[in-house]
Amino acid sequence: MPVDLENSSAMSVSTVSGEASVSSSGNQTGAAPASTVVKKKRNLPGMPDPNAEVLALSPKTLMATNRFVCEICNKGFQRDQNLQLHRRGHNLPWKLRQRTNKEIRKRVYVCPEPSCVHHDPTRALGDLTGIKKHFCRKHGEKKYKCDKCSKKYAVQSDWKAHQKTCGTKEYKCACGTLFSRRDSFITHRAFCDALAEEAAKVHTVLPNSKPEEVVSISFVKPKAVVSSPPPPPLSPLPLTPPPPPPPAMDVLPEYDQIPELPKKSTGILQQIPPSTCVNGSTSSSSSSSNLSSSNSLFESIFSSSTMATLQPQPSAFSNLICAMSHSDRSSNVATASGAEPTSLCLATNGGSTLFAPLGQDRHQYAPSPQPTMSATALLQKAAQMGAAATNASLLRGFGISNSSTGCEQEALNWSHPIDNEPGPPASGLGISHPCDGGGFPCDGASSLTELMMGPSSLFGQRPTTLDLLGLGLGVGGGGASKSGLSALITSIGGGGDFDMATAAFGGGNLLERAWETDDRKTNTSAALP
Amino acid sequence: MQFTETPPPPLHQNSITPCSNFIMNNNNNQFHRTRPWPGFSTTPTNKALGSVKDANCMEQLLVHCANAIESNDATLAQQILWVLNNTAPPDGDSNQRLTCGFLRALISRAAMTGNCKMLTAAMANTHPNHAIDTHKFSVIELASFIDLTPWHRFGFVAANAAILEAIEGFSVVHIVDLSLTHCMQIPTLIDAIANRPEGPPFIKLTVSSCDADIPPMLDISYEDLGAKLVNFARSRNVAMEFKVIPSSYADGFASLIEHLRVQQLVFTDRNEPEALVINSHMKLHYTPDETLGEIHHHSPYYSMEPSFSSTTSLRSAFLKALRSLNPTIVVLVDEDADFSSTNLVSRLRSAFNFLWIPYDAVDTCIRRGSKQMEWYEADLCWKIENVIAQEDVQRVERLESKSKWVQRMRNANFRGISFSEEAVTEIRHMLDEHAAGWGLKKEDEEDHLVLTWKGHNVVFATAWVPSY
Repeated sequence: MPVDLENSSAMSVSTVSGEASVSSSGNQTGAAPASTVVKKKRNLPGMPDPNAEVLALSPKTLMATNRFVCEICNKGFQRDQNLQLHRRGHNLPWKLRQRTNKEIRKRVYVCPEPSCVHHDPTRALGDLTGIKKHFCRKHGEKKYKCDKCSKKYAVQSDWKAHQKTCGTKEYKCACGTLFSRRDSFITHRAFCDALAEEAAKVHTVLPNSKPEEVVSISFVKPKAVVSSPPPPPLSPLPLTPPPPPPPAMDVLPEYDQIPELPKKSTGILQQIPPSTCVNGSTSSSSSSSNLSSSNSLFESIFSSSTMATLQPQPSAFSNLICAMSHSDRSSNVATASGAEPTSLCLATNGGSTLFAPLGQDRHQYAPSPQPTMSATALLQKAAQMGAAATNASLLRGFGISNSSTGCEQEALNWSHPIDNEPGPPASGLGISHPCDGGGFPCDGASSLTELMMGPSSLFGQRPTTLDLLGLGLGVGGGGASKSGLSALITSIGGGGDFDMATAAFGGGNLLERAWETDDRKTNTSAALP
Repeated sequence: MQFTETPPPPLHQNSITPCSNFIMNNNNNQFHRTRPWPGFSTTPTNKALGSVKDANCMEQLLVHCANAIESNDATLAQQILWVLNNTAPPDGDSNQRLTCGFLRALISRAAMTGNCKMLTAAMANTHPNHAIDTHKFSVIELASFIDLTPWHRFGFVAANAAILEAIEGFSVVHIVDLSLTHCMQIPTLIDAIANRPEGPPFIKLTVSSCDADIPPMLDISYEDLGAKLVNFARSRNVAMEFKVIPSSYADGFASLIEHLRVQQLVFTDRNEPEALVINSHMKLHYTPDETLGEIHHHSPYYSMEPSFSSTTSLRSAFLKALRSLNPTIVVLVDEDADFSSTNLVSRLRSAFNFLWIPYDAVDTCIRRGSKQMEWYEADLCWKIENVIAQEDVQRVERLESKSKWVQRMRNANFRGISFSEEAVTEIRHMLDEHAAGWGLKKEDEEDHLVLTWKGHNVVFATAWVPSY
């Protein structure tokens, strides 16, 4: 049993530096009995005993780990007592501290980070492990990274705990998207096209079913009613005749994943004799690839409430058959006979012997383009179909946001003025001018004019060429524009504190001239379509 | 009901000196994170002090700018805009992006009110595509988008737990979903209902037709959305009926209320008890409040009711109408802020001091520069612009604080009920999946739940039953 020595490492001062605590830890005198500490009820975090001794440990101490190393196996321990216990295993001399009768004062620990709530002594934490973990978690580097999901942890034990569960709580939609949270999965699932496709598949496979049974939508003005198969007892607007209750296959395989199942179902798949596989001849090649993906198939069956009691084999089968029929839909074979749908319905009732022949029959008279297509491949195909369907909207999204990116870009240009970097000539114009501050040489003025005239002749780029100057420019009239410009200069001088008010002023005249030229251009360009 | 308003702060000084010094250090546009965690005294470390100053300074500048625009002082407005523009790039840190959103809104306001014409004309040139590009989400996109933060999930989990408890024993459940998020809550609710021990009830789901202009926007019709939900419900062995009632917040959902009344009148004598669940998720704050004038301007329906005096707001009238339907439970979830002031500056302050939260929180879960970030912030910008630039009926983001809503609900003769311990556990569990800054607290004697970010109230969830 590891001995809790937190309170027994003799620290005689209330503020202990990292070094101090290291040196004092070897001190065996004045130790507190561990058992007493363990029995004591831990105080709630942040509500320490007012009589307690408040310790402020340095970050270094808090981050220190495994200071006590075994000379035989190099294993490190956080506490000397644990090392001593460990040494017993090597038959080395060991020594545990004895309990003494010295009265111990409760110790509490504050966080060294000044901005932390636990920095305040009134909110100190009651045990050393607690403060260590707190400090690591909240103020330490998260150096433990999960390989599977890239979550990061600062405390190794947190990481270990996560490792145990990571990946087991995964939910996978038929469209291929993975979810770690059930809520997210459910919401996605409800709206994902994969579900609608499954419903459609049922509809195609079952000759008896009518379109209304899958989704009966009727639009009533002004109200739209979408009602589902089991008719409401008293439907307020019974416009469609109540459809018959959904057939058994209505509860289609759902690709919900349940944490415990993967291993189990893999086992089941392996148990299926090759002769009962849908495609017996290629079973050796296809079943191996099936293994990974069929997990989800099996789990789905188990998670579905009505199928929970089924034997594994038939359900496995119904799934495979489903998948097959799905892939065959394009070749119009799915509607070929009533036998297959029946078999699908039967699948939910069990009876494994029925299925092998049916499956084989199916394969015989319905050769799909790729006869050896595995369930994995079929699933992937379905997923691609789903993806293709959603791609359209994504693309649309891109289109829209492209234009907004353009807008942002402009805003960006607009905000550039303070930077000293030259930038594009157009936007650099109003900007670098005040910032350069050195006063414009004549060359500068002429080039400035060029700059302003150049872009302005390009109508398309007109908006981007306007920057800060645009504020003053937009007024249009010559007289007003002057005031606008002076306002601009004021703003440069007043807002800037840039030590260049004079320079800006000096440049101002040049600007004004340049601007007048530009203004004419603007008017011209504005008149054009 | 009369709400007090903060008086407008004294108008602008003619200089911006208090803040101008920090512009000098701004060559690299680097600002530190802004808001301190509450509960500890502002320790005099340079970092903490500097960051607080930044946020405050930006708020001050925005306030000055708003004042300048309102008083038609184009020169000053322009000066401040220039400064703000340089300190708050749209790709800066969360605080800069927040400020940038307000900046755009102020420009837009100047354009709309016709003040500072010079400025407006200039801006029109500078920002030809100024209109905010709010994204039209596909359903799947929206689902994963909402999943990013607890902003909506908090309300979903709380409401679902409360609803599930309330409908125990009912074989027919009528859910009226008044949600900003286009039924995104419903799948998990269906799932929970499907798994209840006594078997699922028959669900009638009624929604108010989509208010097309308010983000997040959806790229499919509610009819299609409903078909998906019905299909999903069936996959869970739940029978469900979906209805869209053309109705709008603008008239206090009058036609929805009327529809529900007719439903009750026609079908009250049935043997099967029917639970009526009103789930309001961030939608009621769009209904006109007192500051928008009297009822009859907006809704002939409510003004015909004898019980409503002409001074009642449509918002209160709607709640009273809800009460008259004797719902089994009403869940009211909304953002805990107050944007209802008629004074621009106090609205600006209040919005600035609330909307930093979504900007700050999003940095923990969305990569900068990603599409999702763009969508997220476009929706936020829309909201800011609505609060700042719009007036009258166009200003629909009329958030009210929890305390005001609680008062309204009590006035409408509702009684608050507590959320169960299971609900609280479930919420905490959900919050564990998100960034460390999110928290949960209970307030008031009914233990209303409040989602917090770094200790600041974000969203409240309350549950109500008729009181007799």
